[in-house]
Amino acid sequence: MSTHVVPNVTCLGCGLLCDDVAIALEHGRIGGMAPHCDRGRAWFGDGQVPAKILVKDATVSFDAALAEAIALLRPAEGRALVVLGPGLSTGAVRAGIAIADRLRATVDTATSAGAGEAILAGQRRGRATSTLGEVKNRADLVLFWGADPTATHPRFLERLVAVAGSHVTGERTVVSVRIGDAGGPTSPTLELDEAQEASALAVLRGLVLGRLPAATPEHAALADLAARLASARYVAIVGPGEGRDARSSALRAEGLIALAQALNRPTRCTLISLREGGNRNGIESALSWQAGYPFAVSYATGVPRYDPGERGLHELWRTDAALLLGDWRALDDTALAALAEVPTVVVGPRASDAPFAPAVAIDTGVAGIHEGGVAYRLDDVPLPLTPVVDGARTAAMTITALAEALGPRGAGA
Amino acid sequence: MSRGTRLRIRGGTVHDPANGVDGAVQDICIEDGRIVASLPDDAPALDARGMIVMAGGVDIHSHIASSSCNHARRLLPEERVPEPAPPGIAGGRSGSMASVPSTFTTGYRYAGLGYTTVFDAAVAPIMARHTHHEMDDTPCIDAGFFTLMGNDEYLLRLVDQGERGRAKDYMAWLLGSVGGYAVKIVNPGGVEAWKTPQRNLTGLDEALGSSKVTPRAILETLADAANGLGLPHPVHIHCNNLGLPGNAKTTLESMQALEGRRAHFTHLQFHCYGEGGGWKSAARDLIAHVNAHPETSVDVGQVMFGPAVSITADGPVGFLLHGTSGKKWVNIDVELETGCGIGPLMYKDKAAVAALQWAIGLELFLLADDPWRVVLSTDHPNGASFMAYPQVIELLMSRARRDEALAQVNQKLLAGSALLDGLGREFTLNEIAIITRAGPARLLGLRHKGHLGVGADADVTIYGSDAHLAQMFSSPRYVFKRGELVVEEGHLRHAPAGRRLYLRPGFDDAVLPGVKRHFDQWGTVQFDHIGVRDLPGAPLEVG
Repeated sequence: MSTHVVPNVTCLGCGLLCDDVAIALEHGRIGGMAPHCDRGRAWFGDGQVPAKILVKDATVSFDAALAEAIALLRPAEGRALVVLGPGLSTGAVRAGIAIADRLRATVDTATSAGAGEAILAGQRRGRATSTLGEVKNRADLVLFWGADPTATHPRFLERLVAVAGSHVTGERTVVSVRIGDAGGPTSPTLELDEAQEASALAVLRGLVLGRLPAATPEHAALADLAARLASARYVAIVGPGEGRDARSSALRAEGLIALAQALNRPTRCTLISLREGGNRNGIESALSWQAGYPFAVSYATGVPRYDPGERGLHELWRTDAALLLGDWRALDDTALAALAEVPTVVVGPRASDAPFAPAVAIDTGVAGIHEGGVAYRLDDVPLPLTPVVDGARTAAMTITALAEALGPRGAGA
Repeated sequence: MSRGTRLRIRGGTVHDPANGVDGAVQDICIEDGRIVASLPDDAPALDARGMIVMAGGVDIHSHIASSSCNHARRLLPEERVPEPAPPGIAGGRSGSMASVPSTFTTGYRYAGLGYTTVFDAAVAPIMARHTHHEMDDTPCIDAGFFTLMGNDEYLLRLVDQGERGRAKDYMAWLLGSVGGYAVKIVNPGGVEAWKTPQRNLTGLDEALGSSKVTPRAILETLADAANGLGLPHPVHIHCNNLGLPGNAKTTLESMQALEGRRAHFTHLQFHCYGEGGGWKSAARDLIAHVNAHPETSVDVGQVMFGPAVSITADGPVGFLLHGTSGKKWVNIDVELETGCGIGPLMYKDKAAVAALQWAIGLELFLLADDPWRVVLSTDHPNGASFMAYPQVIELLMSRARRDEALAQVNQKLLAGSALLDGLGREFTLNEIAIITRAGPARLLGLRHKGHLGVGADADVTIYGSDAHLAQMFSSPRYVFKRGELVVEEGHLRHAPAGRRLYLRPGFDDAVLPGVKRHFDQWGTVQFDHIGVRDLPGAPLEVG
């Protein structure tokens, strides 16, 4: 075994999907990455993943595990749940959705609880956004709204802000607004309580559109910010991508979208949501093109129905069996506890380590570490993945094998 | 029937205008997915007596498989209607029908109309990988896409520097790298301006910022490059000022700028509004130019009444429509190249502008001297769904149906419309075959498509003869895709994967170091990741 470097690897450690990463392999293990990034380093680890195939904690053959999975899933047709988690290539996701369609299952994303409200806000209002290159090349003012990518998306500033932009003349202005405990990467220009956030966004929008007088003393700080935004050539608003409770997430998301759209009257503006990694956007994208909806899809009646109010992981009482594809570690404790109550097949990285005693666990590699394919950046740009460590069973092939073993619709229990 | 087998389609009434066949009763023979001259007498046969036989439909301009389409799907969950998997199809998939159907549904529905080849008209280079994914999940049709280049920053720099040779090589590299089929120009220079305080370019000689780049320079450079490369389809142009009153002046100037060069002007109806204030038709002026210039071709972009969705790379148009409608709106600026605007639309027959748009489309068809160069599109889903094609065909074939519809629409802006002057033309079945398959295939340079001559792909659509024309074209009796039976008596029987239609034109790789420097400096995607690898099949020949 030798030491060598694999260049231009795409990292799924966060939603940026930096695709310029060099991975150093030492005796078959990942020994380092350049440029260094804490999130990325944690994502790649040493590249070693378990390779177990378990049925009720007993090691079995791959074929035996598939047979057991089929025995559990087929009778659950119409009452099955498929959960799509991170760590899958888009090809694996496509195969997973095909299984959900075949099983007339409810299919949801592992992260819909955190991301769903922002998606729904986008469905109510639309979006004003861009790919990341427009932040880099055009944004002369970057507003971080309750979001600090330093910890969550460590190379955001290096790649997109602290770098020359092809259309940015002079200094780029960076402004941070702190919301509660969530600050930005610079000293806050404005500090707001969480309870003030929605109204502040509404005021900013009113000021930008000239529907509120700028001279009101109570709005002085917001008026100053609105004036700076409106006088920039191209504004990038960077906000959180996921998290918090549903009501505040919805209000924030809708307020940010409305502000970004309004800013496109006096100037240009893009809103960037700092989504997490692992190909979350790819899952939503594939669900959208195959079913028409980005999450919370029920095939129970034989056709895709959008039911964002009753998401799969909240509706396990309807479920006779569950199929979790991807990395279970993205699920919250409530979801993990719920999965312990139903027979669950897990196919994905570290499936055998799942804490809820899956009925069937098939370990696979991780997309972008052990298998290739395509994953989506937080701005929905699809990027190729490079497998850097050999040997792990690929999720895409495993899920495809499961789909084929299930057979076509009506294959029976 | 599966590939590798034979079939004689016996005794149908054949409309194959590319081969000079206009309603002759004859057999069509299929072997190994191709049309052949003859088969042994004992070959399996399909009795098509009394039926109409044409090549499979070819859609030259649609929006079916792109990141923009996917954003449109996500934006409008409220309009989606669930659609079950077709019964009896192994691996058949459910989906949802809407202005932008889900992918599997798109393939099934196109096949159900007798269409077997479709091009997505606007794909940003860094989003090409997404389009290939969607096309992988769109069965039954051969598919390709046009690559957006009319606002490509590197290309605009070359235009500014007058580097036409390098522009040609760069375009060839980009087209081949992403697996595209043709060069698309959307609002030349205007989308780049949208990202700056300039916000748009409205005149053909208006400069982009302080550069020498003008819409005219972009059109000339890219048209010459595409023709110089010998691409099977010339530049596919969405002109400046789409949807604005008086825009026909810009459209005509754009056509005049490219006189003597092959060029295709798309969804002409949306660029066909006369000068002099207010809304009026300029169909006579524009179609007169098209009629007189054999190097020029168009698709119409027919509007039909009902819901639609604006999906455009023309960012400023999306903003304009949002401002007009007040409805929800998506804008996406795509780095180094293009933009994207999406929003719901509603064309009402009682709305004056919508009625004018509907009428202009029909005028363009009916005033065209040469249907080979004025072909059918609705700019799906912008003017209407592709599902409206049978209704458009009926309007073209039946003056009575057209007059009946005309009487129902708002007449306010129709003064001067050729329709009101009593345009009596009724398209023949052969002319329908031209504008729906033979013409688009010829304009696209697809030598094996759009006709039923020996060697052609055995993409065949058989209609039952029916006086109700819309019904006849809505529900073919049989559709064959490369010899496989896909539709039988209106039911989907088989859903084969389609073929990917893409090119890999040659170029001087001396251009690449400069291109790489550009992407390395200003891109956010590694240069080596621009190209899409592992495409299915092989590229089509160029030249």
